[in-house]
Amino acid sequence: MGILKKYLLVLLVGFGVLVALIIFSLNIPRNREANFMERGVLSLMAPLLRPLSHVSGSIEDVWDNYIQLIDTRGENLRLREDIRSLNARLVAANEALLARQRLERLLEMKKSLTPPTVAASVIGEDGSSWFRTLVIDRGRSSLLREGMAVVAADGVVGQTVKVAGESSRVLLLTDHASGISATIQRSRARGVVKGKGEMLCSLEFTTREEDVKVGDLVITSGIGGVFPKGVPIGEVTMVKRGEYGIFQTVSIRPIVNLAHLEEVLIVQRGGYE
Amino acid sequence: MNNRAMLLFIPVLAAAVVLQVTVLPVFLLPAFKPDLLLVLMIFMALRGPTGSGALLSWLLGALSDVFSGLYLGLNAVTYLVVFLVIKGVSDRLYAESALLFVLTTAGVTLAVFTLNMILLLMFTATPGIAYSMFTDIVPRLLVNCFVASLVTLLPGFDRNLEIA
Repeated sequence: MGILKKYLLVLLVGFGVLVALIIFSLNIPRNREANFMERGVLSLMAPLLRPLSHVSGSIEDVWDNYIQLIDTRGENLRLREDIRSLNARLVAANEALLARQRLERLLEMKKSLTPPTVAASVIGEDGSSWFRTLVIDRGRSSLLREGMAVVAADGVVGQTVKVAGESSRVLLLTDHASGISATIQRSRARGVVKGKGEMLCSLEFTTREEDVKVGDLVITSGIGGVFPKGVPIGEVTMVKRGEYGIFQTVSIRPIVNLAHLEEVLIVQRGGYE
Repeated sequence: MNNRAMLLFIPVLAAAVVLQVTVLPVFLLPAFKPDLLLVLMIFMALRGPTGSGALLSWLLGALSDVFSGLYLGLNAVTYLVVFLVIKGVSDRLYAESALLFVLTTAGVTLAVFTLNMILLLMFTATPGIAYSMFTDIVPRLLVNCFVASLVTLLPGFDRNLEIA
């Protein structure tokens, strides 16, 4: 009896382990089925687990949405700053791409001109709406003089006037004081392109007999030595021949979009002191 | 005009020129560009001293000519004439009135338009310019009056430059 008492605990533990092993071994073949014990526990716990899972879900929400979001405001600000920075870089990249396209076209025009040219950026427009002039960022330091031809990628822009050290003003071909010797490319009819304001010009001194049609391209004639010969000026938009008079009325739309000019070329030839 | 007013005048003038020549043309059609220098001259004519004011108005006109058209002196003459006319009557008017300032701006816009056109037709070879000027005058008048009305909202508008 004394020995039994002495080893009772060991025997109980051994028996318990044995029972556990037997239960385990009996459940191995049916490991995917719930036995009576599992069914019983699951059934008992189910009513408790359902509300507790809601509570723990709420706790998880609180954790995820509030406690774990302590740094979210800072992260949000960082991300906003990143977006701003990336947007700025995107805009700069687009702007560089557009500038490159414009400059490529300007370079093509530069190659087509024989005399030396210098590129300039438009930095201002006329202070008044009655006159049509531009301000460019090149002047006497770039060997510019008054009366030099100014062209863009598409064609004629005007002539330099009022040349200062580091800037100049350009009299646009649409200004009332502008006059450029011109030729109709198709028929070689000659005239003088005069500005009419409002982004329009007219071909003056073209006699009634000359062949001019709507859609004809007007180019520089090269007479006068200011503009190189053959640079596009504009397109004929209206031709009117009255019953009387020596000349016909010809309206021209400039080929260059003068309202959105950004870069121009100044032909370093001619001019006057 | 005292030193403080002069110190204020120079940056305002520089800002007006930059706005007029570089900033506003990007956003506004030519006809809707306000004459900021003209508005400045009117303010000076109504509120400033006569002696230095006359010289400054001539300089304002000349500055306007530097950035506009081909004819240096055109606006200088008209600004000076208009300044002297306004100065001649401003003593008899309540010059601190906002309404008077806006009405004067309207009148001066028309006067400058008329004088410029007469001078251009008389002395220059720009036969078609009158047409361009006539097409622009209504929006120019309205825009100038709008700018003048904004000037009246500025703090210190009702203070006299001569006294200050």
